Amino acid sequence: MSGLRVMWTYMLTGLAIFALMLLAGIGLRASQANWIAIDPGTFYSILSLHGIGMIVAMALAGLGVLWYLVRKEIPELDPRVAYMAYGFFLAGVVSVIVSVVPGKYGSLWTMLYPLPFVGAYWPSWATGAWLVGNALVMIGFMLWCAQVLGALLARYGGIRGMLAIDYVFDRRAFAEAGRTPPPPAMFAAAIVSFDGFITGTVGLVIGTALIVHWIDPSVVVNPLWAKNLTYLFGHSFANLTMYMAVAGIYVGLPLCTKREYHTSVPLAVAWWGTLLFVMIAYFHHLYMDFAQMVWMQYVGEISSYLAAVPVVVVTIYGGVMLVHRSGMRWSLGSMFLYAGMIGWVVGGAAAVLDATIPVNVDLHNTLWVPGHFHTYLLEGVLLFILGWVFVNLEQRAGAASSLPVRWLTGIGMFGGGSLFLMSFYLAGAAGVPRRYALEPAPGPYLAGLATIGALAFLAGLLVCIVEGIRLARLSKREALT
Amino acid sequence: MGNVGPIFWIFCAIAVLAISSMVLLGNYRNREALPQDVVTSSGYAIRRYWFWAVIAGSIAAFFLTIPSFPYLSAAANADAIHFPVVAQQYGFAAPPVVPLNRDVIFDVSSKDVNHGFGIYAPNGAMMSQVQAMPGYVNHLRVRFTVPGRYLIRCLEYCGIAHAAMQGGFDVR
Repeated sequence: MSGLRVMWTYMLTGLAIFALMLLAGIGLRASQANWIAIDPGTFYSILSLHGIGMIVAMALAGLGVLWYLVRKEIPELDPRVAYMAYGFFLAGVVSVIVSVVPGKYGSLWTMLYPLPFVGAYWPSWATGAWLVGNALVMIGFMLWCAQVLGALLARYGGIRGMLAIDYVFDRRAFAEAGRTPPPPAMFAAAIVSFDGFITGTVGLVIGTALIVHWIDPSVVVNPLWAKNLTYLFGHSFANLTMYMAVAGIYVGLPLCTKREYHTSVPLAVAWWGTLLFVMIAYFHHLYMDFAQMVWMQYVGEISSYLAAVPVVVVTIYGGVMLVHRSGMRWSLGSMFLYAGMIGWVVGGAAAVLDATIPVNVDLHNTLWVPGHFHTYLLEGVLLFILGWVFVNLEQRAGAASSLPVRWLTGIGMFGGGSLFLMSFYLAGAAGVPRRYALEPAPGPYLAGLATIGALAFLAGLLVCIVEGIRLARLSKREALT
Repeated sequence: MGNVGPIFWIFCAIAVLAISSMVLLGNYRNREALPQDVVTSSGYAIRRYWFWAVIAGSIAAFFLTIPSFPYLSAAANADAIHFPVVAQQYGFAAPPVVPLNRDVIFDVSSKDVNHGFGIYAPNGAMMSQVQAMPGYVNHLRVRFTVPGRYLIRCLEYCGIAHAAMQGGFDVR
C-alpha cells in the first residue's frame, strides 16, 4: 500500500465533499438574495451541513497531503492506520448527513449549549446523530494525529528533536553532532498533530458532555464553560486546516521555482509561536461575553495579533522570497500556490481587524466573520490543495495548461471569488448579522452579488477540474510510454 | 442598515497593498533570474526590520485599543442607570424608554439559550452589542446622544426564528 494512494483517497474525498458543499452554499446565498425559496428550517439544516462539511472537506484534503509528506520522511508510517482514521471520518460524515437530511437538525456546527436541546424543530434522534457524527470525526482526526505525532517523536528523538529545540539553542553543537533539523513540512505536521490531538480531546470532552445531556437532560452543563470548549475545539480545528495545507508552500513552491525551502532558526521559532497561538487565539470568539474573565480578553487580542507574526514574517515571506526573481513559469499549480498566500494574507488581515476588541463590538456576528473565513478557506486552504494537485499533475504529465485555461480559471476563481467575498465584507461592515435566513437591507442585494460571484467561482473551478482530468490522462499516457 | 464604517476602507487599503506588492514581487518573470542566495541574503536583511515592525505594530495596536475595551466601564460607573434586558426565544424584554445623554447600563441575560443583544441606531448603524447567556448577566454601558427609535436585533444564532428576533426602545 503506497502513501500516494492514501493521499489521493483523502484528497479526492475532501474535494468531492467540498464541491457538494459549494453547491449547498450557493443555494444558501441565492435564498438570502430571495432568488429561490428555502424555508428557515431547511435553511438552517443546510447551513449546519455546509459549515461542518466544508471544514471536514478541507481537513481531509490537507491531512492527505501532510500524511503523504510525512510518509516520505518516515517510511514506517502504516497506511492501515490512515485508512482506519479515514473510516472514522467517513462514518462521521454519514452520521452528520443522516442527522441533517432526513433528521432536519439545524443547530449549526457551533451548537452552543443549550441550543441543540431547546426549541428544536427536529426530532431528538437527529441531535444524537449529529453529536455522534462529530465525535466520530474527532476520533478519526485524533487517530491521524496520534499516528503522525508518534512517528515524528520517534524519528526525530522526542519533542526536543521534533521542534528543533537543540538546533535553535546550540546550532554549533547540533551541527558537530552530525544532526539535521526536520524539513519545514515536518514542522507543519508536528504542530497539526500536537495541537490537533489537544483540539480533538477538547472536542470529545464537550461532545461527550452534550451527549450525556442528550441522554439524561437532568445533567446540566455550564453554558460559559461549554462555549469556551466549543470554540477552543471549533476555532482551532478550522484554523489548523490552513497549517495542514501549508505544506504546499514548503514542498510545492520549491518544485516550481527549482529552489530550496530550508529549515532555519526563524522558521523553527515561528512554528513554536504557532503551536501556542493556535490554541489561545479562540478567546476572541468570546469578546462579547463580558462574564468571561477579563484577562482572557486581553490575551485574546494580543495573541490574535501575534498569531499573524509567524505567517507574515516567516512562512509567506519565505514563500515570496522563493518565487522572487526565480524565473518560475506560471502554471495552474504555481498560480494557485502563490494566490493562496495572497488569500491567506487578506483573510488574515480581516481576521486581525475583527480580533481588535473595539472593532469587534461593531463586527461580532455580522457577515464580516464569514467574509474572513471564506477568504481564508476558499482563497487560501483550497488554493494550496489545488496548487499541490496541479504541481504534481504538471510534473507527471510533463505539460502545463494553456494561457486561455489559466485566464478562465483565474477570472472565475479569483474574480468571481473576490465579488463573492466582498459582498460579505460590505454587508458585515454595514451591520448585517450573520446566520439570518432572511436578511435586512442591504443583505439581500449583496447576497445576489455574492451568488453571481460564487457561480463565476464555480465556472472557474469546472474549467480547472476539466483541465485536471486532461493532465491526469496525459500523465497516465506518459507513464505508459 | 447603516453605511460601512472606516474599518471597511482600512481593510480595502491593506488588501490592495498586500495583493499589489505580492503580485509585483512574484511576477518578476521578465527580468533576469537571480541565484537563490542573492535573493535570500537581501531578503533576510529586510526581514529583520519587517519582523520588528510587525511586533511593534501589534504591541502598539494592543495598548492603543485598551482604553476602548468595554469590560471595565460598567463597574466604573456608579451614577449610571441600570436597565434589565432579558432575551428569550424569540424576543427581548427591554425598557420602552431610555434617557438621552446619560450613562445607562443594560444588565443583559437570557432565559433559555445564547442570544445576542445588538443595538442599532436610528440611522441603521450598529451601535453596540453584548451576548445574552443563560445563568450570567453581562453589563453593557452605553450613552445615547441622538434621540429616536433604536432597534434591537439578536446577534447569536438561537433557532428557527433567529432572524425575526427583534425589539426596540425610544431614546428621549
